[in-house]
Amino acid sequence: MSTVRRIAREEWRALFRDRVALFGLLLVSVLMLVATLTAHEHQHHANAERARYQAQANEQFAQQPDRHPHRVVHYGHFLFRPLNPLAAFDPGIDAYTGNTLFLEGHRQNSANFGDVRQSSLLMRFGQLTPAFVLQVLSPLLLVFVGHAGVARERESGTLRLLLAQGVAGAQIVGGKLLALSGFTGLVLAPALLALAWFAASGQAPWSLALLLAAGYAAWLLLWSLAVVWISTLCARGRDALLVLLAAWAVLVILLPRWVPDLANTAIALPTRFETQIKVERDYQALGDAHNPEDPKFAEFRDALLSKHRVTRIEDLPVNFKGAVSMEGERQSTELFNRHAAAAFDRQRQQNALVDGFSWLAPTLALRRLSMAASGTDLLSFQRFIEQGEQYRYDLVQGLNRLHAEALSYADETNPARSKRISHTHWQKFPAFDYQAEPLALTLGRAAPAALVLLLWLAALAGLAWRAGRRLERNVR
Amino acid sequence: MTIDIREASRAWTLEALGVVAGYGGRTILHQLDLRIRAGEIYALLGANGAGKTTALSLFLGFVAPTAGQVRVHGVDPVAQPGEARRHLAYIPENVALYEHLTARENVAYLLDLAGQNPAPDAIARALAAAGLQGQVFDRRVGGFSKGMRQKVAIALALARQVPALLLDEPTSGLDPQATAEFSRLLQLLRAQGVAILMVTHDLLGAADVADRIGFLDGGRLVEEVAAAGEERFDVRALHRRYAGQAGQADALERSA
Repeated sequence: MSTVRRIAREEWRALFRDRVALFGLLLVSVLMLVATLTAHEHQHHANAERARYQAQANEQFAQQPDRHPHRVVHYGHFLFRPLNPLAAFDPGIDAYTGNTLFLEGHRQNSANFGDVRQSSLLMRFGQLTPAFVLQVLSPLLLVFVGHAGVARERESGTLRLLLAQGVAGAQIVGGKLLALSGFTGLVLAPALLALAWFAASGQAPWSLALLLAAGYAAWLLLWSLAVVWISTLCARGRDALLVLLAAWAVLVILLPRWVPDLANTAIALPTRFETQIKVERDYQALGDAHNPEDPKFAEFRDALLSKHRVTRIEDLPVNFKGAVSMEGERQSTELFNRHAAAAFDRQRQQNALVDGFSWLAPTLALRRLSMAASGTDLLSFQRFIEQGEQYRYDLVQGLNRLHAEALSYADETNPARSKRISHTHWQKFPAFDYQAEPLALTLGRAAPAALVLLLWLAALAGLAWRAGRRLERNVR
Repeated sequence: MTIDIREASRAWTLEALGVVAGYGGRTILHQLDLRIRAGEIYALLGANGAGKTTALSLFLGFVAPTAGQVRVHGVDPVAQPGEARRHLAYIPENVALYEHLTARENVAYLLDLAGQNPAPDAIARALAAAGLQGQVFDRRVGGFSKGMRQKVAIALALARQVPALLLDEPTSGLDPQATAEFSRLLQLLRAQGVAILMVTHDLLGAADVADRIGFLDGGRLVEEVAAAGEERFDVRALHRRYAGQAGQADALERSA
């Protein structure tokens, strides 16, 4: 057996004679189990509920009676965001974003009914999730279990004894690291099982489950390296514990909360109220698409008359009111999309600023990777919003087209004639089908965060190795 | 005829030639010349801060000399610390062992790390030879006295069968019976050809077992005395000369 493995085996034995390690491991495993089951149950319930509501909304939309197509435009439709299967592992920003979109003409509504707003105040303290257990609690356990690894040898005098047997300092550090990594494997095992369960049961793709597994393995290995490195540098275990607790508080608790606040201050987002006022003002400037006489649409009317080589709107082959609705919707959607893109762009800038800090706090990189793989980050939410908006636009323009083509201008302007069209038209609109992000795109998005974690790993491995080499020189 | 320096060096198991060394820019040892051959016990005496422990650390490779050369069985402990330490055993003043392991497990573990894998009965023989009672072999060392811990460390040294042994204040805190037993063990190791360097304040103890005694003062080896005749050393003469340094004047006067 190699020296490193022999030291690791002895350290492992010592760890398991220590009740702190056993109790901590048991506690984290139980928390992980509870977090996985409750998060999965929550997700299962939410998905079933959303699917039921979606079916109900589809049914109600399709069951509308014969009516004027523009009434259908204002009747509207609901879309419910399907949860990504791995959202049970890391819900990311999902609890704070809305998951229901109300679609209607001339309006781009925000998503509503986020979990946090729907729940009691207690929910705002945060849900227990596997990601929370691994991101926050597990490093703390590694700190408590491993802080004395090398420092204890120095403190008790056994370090001289070990070195005197011809063991190199780097071998001692390697042995301690191997033992703590083994313990890390036990800490990670319940999460790996949960991910394997998600993947094996077909709920989530293996590649994303593996990405999450690799990301969290790197995260905990990074902490193992940090713990052993600090333990090698400190003269006493107590000093190592204090340094590591301070590092944990700053890297895991403080920076991940302070940096987004900083980003929010540096790149401020307008409030929802401010945005609504601005959008409404711009929208009013576009003109009233319900009124074909609105002078803002005179140019459009003239172009249409010219295109069809007629002089009166009554002679147009399409219903002019429907055509104005289509043009109005095109213009208003362009306006809404511009505002939405600007808002998302500012949020992307905020994210980029936060990402920059991940070189300082790898927790930020891990969170980025975890949320990307779990489909619960800002871009995943934006994807739903954009697909929902595209669906809204197609639906409204489909109804406006029916207005223009299935209902004549003459009938619509004659009070004696019916202005309704057959209800079968609404039944022909396809249901919303959310397309999840292609795997390659997700993996590509997670790559920068993975690189940050790998570089942190390499840097800490280098520091630990260097500290091991100098261990022999620092013994008196 | 060419001289194989490495082989020539092996005539001396422990060798420090013209060594200057210290910590953090402070020089502690000045031009130290020290040579100990196989089967010889060398006692290095000196006052606190004279550089005794630094001299031991030189051979362990814990301190790199800024000048001069150090060899352990012909190996430079700075260039090849692992290889040099394979040739020596070390017993610190306060023997630190793994509290959660038994005496037998401690020896087995440390032997394993030293690259040796002796049979369990060989470890038991070493423990017995070191003077430990059989009933404590499988007891955790957490409750062991200083003397018992030292015996475990000696058992390790015996089992390792190395050519050199370094001892730091070996008799400090031991009762007279334990000290006598310890001296017996050192003589046993000397008989096996082990080169022993012990640093100590205990002039009487050193005079009892050492073949040579060196006096370190301010990091300089100021005098070496070799045992001669039945009386071995003129302890009183040694004391008169170095009582001030070694801080044993009062104790010796009282014991006389």
